[in-house]
Amino acid sequence: MGFLDALLGRKQLKDPARDRLFALSTARITLEAELDLRPAGVGAVCFKSMSAAEFVRAEKDLHGLLDAVARDTGTKVERKTDDYGFEWLIAHDADFEDLVATIHLVGAELESRGFGPQLLAAVFRFDRAGQPAYWIYGYKRGAFWPFVPSGESTRRDNATELELKAKLEKELPIEEDTSRWFGTFDAPL
Amino acid sequence: MKRKAFGRDAGLTSRMVFTGFLLGALYVAFAAVLFNVLNVGLAPMIVISLGLAAFQYYTSDKLALAASGAKVVSADEAPELHAMVDRLCAMADLPKPRVAIVDTDVPNAFATGRSPKHAAVAVTRGLRERLEAKEIEGVLAHELAHIANRDVLVMTLASFFAMLAALLTRFALYAGMFGGGYGRRNDNGGNQVPVWLIVLAVSMVTYAISFVLIRTISRYREYGADRGSALLTGAPEYLMSALQKISGQMTRIPQRDLREMEGMSALFIIPTRVKRATGEWFMDHPPLEKRLARLAEIAREMGRPVA
Repeated sequence: MGFLDALLGRKQLKDPARDRLFALSTARITLEAELDLRPAGVGAVCFKSMSAAEFVRAEKDLHGLLDAVARDTGTKVERKTDDYGFEWLIAHDADFEDLVATIHLVGAELESRGFGPQLLAAVFRFDRAGQPAYWIYGYKRGAFWPFVPSGESTRRDNATELELKAKLEKELPIEEDTSRWFGTFDAPL
Repeated sequence: MKRKAFGRDAGLTSRMVFTGFLLGALYVAFAAVLFNVLNVGLAPMIVISLGLAAFQYYTSDKLALAASGAKVVSADEAPELHAMVDRLCAMADLPKPRVAIVDTDVPNAFATGRSPKHAAVAVTRGLRERLEAKEIEGVLAHELAHIANRDVLVMTLASFFAMLAALLTRFALYAGMFGGGYGRRNDNGGNQVPVWLIVLAVSMVTYAISFVLIRTISRYREYGADRGSALLTGAPEYLMSALQKISGQMTRIPQRDLREMEGMSALFIIPTRVKRATGEWFMDHPPLEKRLARLAEIAREMGRPVA
């Protein structure tokens, strides 16, 4: 972890979004104890790519960084483009803290290059009996919201989502306005 | 600690008692003022409003069902609904109420009846179409909690006084318009306020205050029924999502994808909804946010082991 700590220590500025993303690391215990939800070992950052040379450079550097992280923690990162034209950087790591740190790193790196507005959301997958439940983190509002697809195409399990909010609102910054709880159906994770 | 079927919330109970007490105190003062200003006409009015209240109380189930156009359905006509009510009544140790359906698209439900023995619970067609089975169960449990808590009796008592005040207001208006049947002028001064005007003002104020207090009691009863439902089903999250769906489109969890909304509101920081503080005084149901917050509190409570 020494290498990662060094990386995360780069920014001396107080970054509210950073602290908020890491809240999920501790919330995970409640998720497992109260709701039997376990991390699926996969998380992703979803962002809108730009053709600008500066952005391409930033992405190249980011991949260099991620390769270094992969050597250090064993986190695997793959890249996908979805039908909406968004880029996904998908990280696989059985160690949940490392996973959150990697996801944070991607966001922080893009933000520090001035591409913060391109960031849409970070998505973390949890599983209960093989059924996925996602925590989505909106960069714009610095808050999490639950997303539990119910199997059918664009249906979601509102009851479970509200239960997740009820049991975790003391530990996680949760988006208060439920009309903003947009899902990411058929996300690549 | 043993869990009770319908839950005790000490704070809520004490607030209910306090509100009830305030209501009573208000009428004592009201009666005193009236007796000092005029010494006739009160008794017959009280008898009339008592009669009306009694009528309302004894026919509450028929009245409510008729007013809403609900049809009582048999177990053959709505088996799954009856099965749910059967199960919940067994859990709550309540006699089974009549089950009715209102043929309207608006998702809603209500319970009525002066006692658990004379109760009816009704749901609308819209509710059955829009909600999942477990959500309907949460709503039914909420209505059964109303029955178990004798809320019809409580609200009838509370509104009796408001009715009385309304009656007096009308009486005073009537008396004023037709030459003041009981306002005798004193001879110790020419320019005094006619008695009927005082009665009118007093009963108007009384009615306004009791209106607010009744709604306050009513909101507390709703919280109580939400709590009862949560404890009866053991799964408050279904009632939460049912309330979300019933409450209309404003706070609904969206069905759309985040990426579709890109460039629209999802990406901008917009101040969250403005809080309404005063509006609450005149509502007989608590605002959705507060109900959900309390249910969330209960959900967290339930997650903890019982000592």
